[in-house]
Amino acid sequence: MTGEPGAAPAEDEAHPVTGLDDVVHQRVRLGILTIAHEARRVEFGYLRTQLQLTAGNLSQHLGVLETAGLVAVEKGYAGKRGRTWITLTDAGSAALAAEIGRLKLLIARVETAPGDTG
Amino acid sequence: MTTDSVPAGDPRRLLSDTTALARRVRVDQRVTWFALLVLAVVTLVAIPFDWWGLEIRCSGTGDAAACRYWRRGAMFYWPPALLLAYAAIAYGYARAARERGLGTRIRAYALTGATLTAVFTASWLAARLYLYDNPPAEPFPTWVLKLDLLVSPAGTIGVALLVLARLERNLALLAFTLAYLAVVVVPIDFGWGRGWGLETTFLPQQVVNATVLLLGAAAFALARRRQP
Repeated sequence: MTGEPGAAPAEDEAHPVTGLDDVVHQRVRLGILTIAHEARRVEFGYLRTQLQLTAGNLSQHLGVLETAGLVAVEKGYAGKRGRTWITLTDAGSAALAAEIGRLKLLIARVETAPGDTG
Repeated sequence: MTTDSVPAGDPRRLLSDTTALARRVRVDQRVTWFALLVLAVVTLVAIPFDWWGLEIRCSGTGDAAACRYWRRGAMFYWPPALLLAYAAIAYGYARAARERGLGTRIRAYALTGATLTAVFTASWLAARLYLYDNPPAEPFPTWVLKLDLLVSPAGTIGVALLVLARLERNLALLAFTLAYLAVVVVPIDFGWGRGWGLETTFLPQQVVNATVLLLGAAAFALARRRQP
């Protein structure tokens, strides 16, 4: 710490937990963002299989991410079958990168904390 | 996976889950065997083109004979063949990924392959055009010959495969490609074709290159089938 004693820590020195975004810091939603980032474009069925969710449950999480502007959902057809494709928005990409960065920072903090083994 | 919020103090698990998911997607996007199969077929089909398009002019006789090779077949065959191959690979990857419910990053590979084909083939052909009319007085140093092999169509295939290995973060493909490039740049000589005539000068190496690619395609297809 470099500030005055008792002063609030500067933003860049704040604990990484304080910067976590509740929308992204959730196992399933982080999984959705990760898959969409890696795949560029992912089908609803693939997400459901990989994340082992029910359709309703996945739809709920997608709704949260779509409302936050992190993913775009596009409905279409492959032959006669309806398909739903999910793509990551720029905001989603940035949110994912920020979350991964914070997780790494958090792990680094935990590993370097002196004598804090419980 | 659960739908609960992640318990605090579990970032390591969250990060490892994320890494595992990303790896799973990358594996599901791959159709490495298809890319190698297309490139093997293109290499095999080149053989008759090279054979019938080869023009040889020799001066002198016996051990003092000096021959000049003019590979017209290769000149006309390789540029369009490689461009078509990269288009086919891009289509195959996109289709396979779509069937699995995924997008793909193959466009970067196809564009790199096409660009390398244009640049490398142009330099390879320009060197041949120049040397055909201006034969060197002294033999080339070894590094020039190796560089020539690297920018040859077979070498171009290898360099483009390195790009694919990087895009797919595919260590197995990287190892395979390095082995393939070693075979291309340090040609294997089993002594075949010594008595077959000058027209078959390039045949053994072409067969070896195609065989390596075919074996690679078979190995990656087998590995793919064994994946859960």
